[in-house]
Amino acid sequence: MLVTKPASNVMVPNRVIPALGVLALVLVWLLDLGAIQPNRIVPGTGHGLLSAVGWLGAGMVTLTLAASILLSLFPLRLRYPLLLGLVGFSLAALPLLLDVFAGRHLPEASPYARSTIGAGFWSLLFLLSLMLIEIVGRLRAGRGLQLVLLVVIVGSWLMLLRGEGLASLSLVREFNARPDEFEQALWTHLALAFGAVTFSAGLAFVLALKMIRSPAWQRPVLGAVSFLQTIPSLAVFGLLIAPLGALSSAFPALQSLGIRGIGWAPALLALIAYSLLPMVRNTFVAITEVPENLADAGRGMGMTERQLFFKLKLPLALPVIIEGVRITTIQAIGLTAVAALIGAGGFGAFIFQGLGQAAMDLVLLGALPTIALALLADALFTMVGDSLKPTPATT
Amino acid sequence: MRIWLPPVLLAALLYGLSVGMPVLEPLFQWLQPDKQTVIYDRESFLFLLQNHLLLVVVSAAVGTFMAVTGGIFATRPSGRDFLPLVSQVASIGQTFPPVAVLALAVPVLGFGEAPILIALILYGLLPILRNTLAGLEGVDPTVREAARGMGMSPGQILFRAELPLAGRVILAGIRTSVTINIATAAIGSTIGARNLGDPVIAGLVNGNTAYVLQGAILIGLLALTTDSLFEALERIWDRRFSPQAAV
Amino acid sequence: MIELKNVTRRFGNTVAVDNINLTIETGEVCVLVGSSGCGKSTTLRMINRLLPHSAGEILVDGEDVNAMNPEQLRLNMGYVIQGTGLFPHWTVARNIAMVPHLLKWPKERIDARVEELMTLLDLDPATHASKYPQQLSGGQAQRVGVARALAADPNILLMDEPFGALDAITRENLQMEMLRIQRQVRKTTVFVTHDIDEALKLATRIAVMDQGRIIQHDTPENILRHPASDFVENLVGKQDRGLKLMSLRPVRDLMSPHAEPRQSVAGEGAIREEDSVRLALSVMLWKDLGEVAVFNARGQETGVITRERIIQEGA
Repeated sequence: MLVTKPASNVMVPNRVIPALGVLALVLVWLLDLGAIQPNRIVPGTGHGLLSAVGWLGAGMVTLTLAASILLSLFPLRLRYPLLLGLVGFSLAALPLLLDVFAGRHLPEASPYARSTIGAGFWSLLFLLSLMLIEIVGRLRAGRGLQLVLLVVIVGSWLMLLRGEGLASLSLVREFNARPDEFEQALWTHLALAFGAVTFSAGLAFVLALKMIRSPAWQRPVLGAVSFLQTIPSLAVFGLLIAPLGALSSAFPALQSLGIRGIGWAPALLALIAYSLLPMVRNTFVAITEVPENLADAGRGMGMTERQLFFKLKLPLALPVIIEGVRITTIQAIGLTAVAALIGAGGFGAFIFQGLGQAAMDLVLLGALPTIALALLADALFTMVGDSLKPTPATT
Repeated sequence: MRIWLPPVLLAALLYGLSVGMPVLEPLFQWLQPDKQTVIYDRESFLFLLQNHLLLVVVSAAVGTFMAVTGGIFATRPSGRDFLPLVSQVASIGQTFPPVAVLALAVPVLGFGEAPILIALILYGLLPILRNTLAGLEGVDPTVREAARGMGMSPGQILFRAELPLAGRVILAGIRTSVTINIATAAIGSTIGARNLGDPVIAGLVNGNTAYVLQGAILIGLLALTTDSLFEALERIWDRRFSPQAAV
Repeated sequence: MIELKNVTRRFGNTVAVDNINLTIETGEVCVLVGSSGCGKSTTLRMINRLLPHSAGEILVDGEDVNAMNPEQLRLNMGYVIQGTGLFPHWTVARNIAMVPHLLKWPKERIDARVEELMTLLDLDPATHASKYPQQLSGGQAQRVGVARALAADPNILLMDEPFGALDAITRENLQMEMLRIQRQVRKTTVFVTHDIDEALKLATRIAVMDQGRIIQHDTPENILRHPASDFVENLVGKQDRGLKLMSLRPVRDLMSPHAEPRQSVAGEGAIREEDSVRLALSVMLWKDLGEVAVFNARGQETGVITRERIIQEGA
């Protein structure tokens, strides 16, 4: 069924972007753009937009936002591509504000002084991102364009962050103080999250098939995995300490493998337990929801059950199964961060270390990569799922 | 009446354990022979439980109000422009790990209860918002059409047709949100909330497994109690609004 | 040839098909007709063993179906169902090629066969072969469903309310199409429907079913003229049986032919030899004529048919 797109769509003034733009203007002028800390722990002095980047910088920020607002109100045919360029460029160039800020305010003499990011900057980043999402949505942009945007913006950020101008940024300092630890945390985080997802995917597939063959298994299996999902992560990690600790003291061989009450072993175990619900449910539902009349047609044409499974059910179920993998991966990345509490390592270690030392930028150094990993996994599996969707979207 | 049995029993067990944890001292002593104190005593468990509950209930109430209001706004003719953005934000926001959101709240808002509450509200409203949108958008258009045709005002359509029909889905969203928030609030004790996460964190820091267990058991029980409460609510909803579905 | 001997099918305690006997000759179209729940679909699905029968014997070309491998049995029978059952993740061409693929035909042969079938069913291979089922109209999708059933040139075609979900006009078109194809390929066909008009139009013989039993098994004309029971009489329509009979009869039977075909122009809506007598009468009534000219397929006038003759002998 073809749904005709209303012809007026392009010409109607957009109300979303002005709303976001006005909010951004208000917040960026009201809140501190950044602060200067004399050293790592002492709270810094905040600077508003004008003080932080001067008339020129403040003017450019204001002008860009005002231009986006005006542009979105004009019934111009090309306004969305223009807006995309404007907002995309602003986002890519955003770290320059911090660069200018540091250049203007960082005292030359004190080597411990550092600049930190303020609420105004975060608001600007957040609202510009929302504007970008809105514009990309209106343009009905394909995956390709989204990917290009992502690469350009992330690339520009990485380039700017590695540059001289932002070396004084607290976040960058925290990173430069422990590049090896960071890399180690990255690999630990990935290994734990993906290890759990891979293992639980296999287990879930077997369980789902078992549930399909013997319906008596459905209730107990689904009941058990959703019970596991209900228990808060902190509790599961805590509850695993005692039995695993007991196991490892009873069998010293396990200890030499690193299996103890704390560390990667209970973390992995808990992550797998959590991953089972979305995996099992999605796999089971996906395979059982293949319409019976299709299976009937296939059977009637002489397909064996095996052929039906591999040629009909699995291909049709795959996107939903991948959706399960996507949810599970995102969840596992987040839970791995919590697992740092029981000494599993990963980015969560920075978060809790930072919280313990009241070093906010160390917290950021843990939190931001965790979020980035989650978003990346989301994008990756959405893309895989889309490409596996067997039929063209009927628009 | 049997519907209420599991939540009541679990709640009784939760309360009993919070009050009577010291009774189990010999058990924990056996588990943890090398420690002087084996029962967490910096705060009473009941106080921690109350605080935990308060945090979750307040964030759920505020989050539900905001999410449902927002969801209604984005599905009205006047707010339709915002629908694509709102639903995108609701789904992208849920990819943010709750711990990371909690951690981000600290640099912006500082330590203590306030950042936790705000993080819980913001993060918790996402699943409710998404379900509100799904529920309202999922209402059969012919129902709306029929209601309008019979002369109902937009407000009447909303309150008498759309919300009751979407309610089950919204309730499921609240359940998801509360489940996540109970877990996230517990982690919140690392940034200064006084709740059932405290014994666990303290136990981890001091290597006192007994503390960890006490906290973990109570958090787990709290989660199960809440979950069975929602289970009961959902059953009752089904029974009232779609009697044929509830067998 | 398909033979059902004392076949019974029970679901738990209920008897869906009750001791039926039915012989379907090679090349004929046997239509099972009856209201829903009468056991007609069950009967069809027992022939290709999608459902096992509880008692009795089903023979296909003299061989007991239970003695055959069910997949082998089904590969040799085309199967068309209501709502098509096309695989949504396969293109039209791949759907049609399903059975040839399962039979491991060489690729060139499959491609050629797909093209041949699409042409036979009036689907342009160039525009439709690479489409997905969702991109087709209901009628087109069902044509693909029929093509898929015919793909490996099976001797037998099983059709389970294939046109049930289509609108009246599309259904009529596909019925005509089916009659045309059937003239070309002559498959032994078992066709299930609840629509008596469809049955009368398509069937060589009709089996009227009710409560798991076959009430009457006969040619359409005999079913109309000599209904075996009140049930059949009601089904075929007590009062307008006359008109229904007329729709079974081609004009060719009642026209007075010219000695030589005449060259004249067959205008829009001209009556042809294969049209039904009922149509000819309707045209005469509408245009207030006593007779109309009849044309053959090449557009030559081959005779006339009169109103009187129809009234006398039409039914």
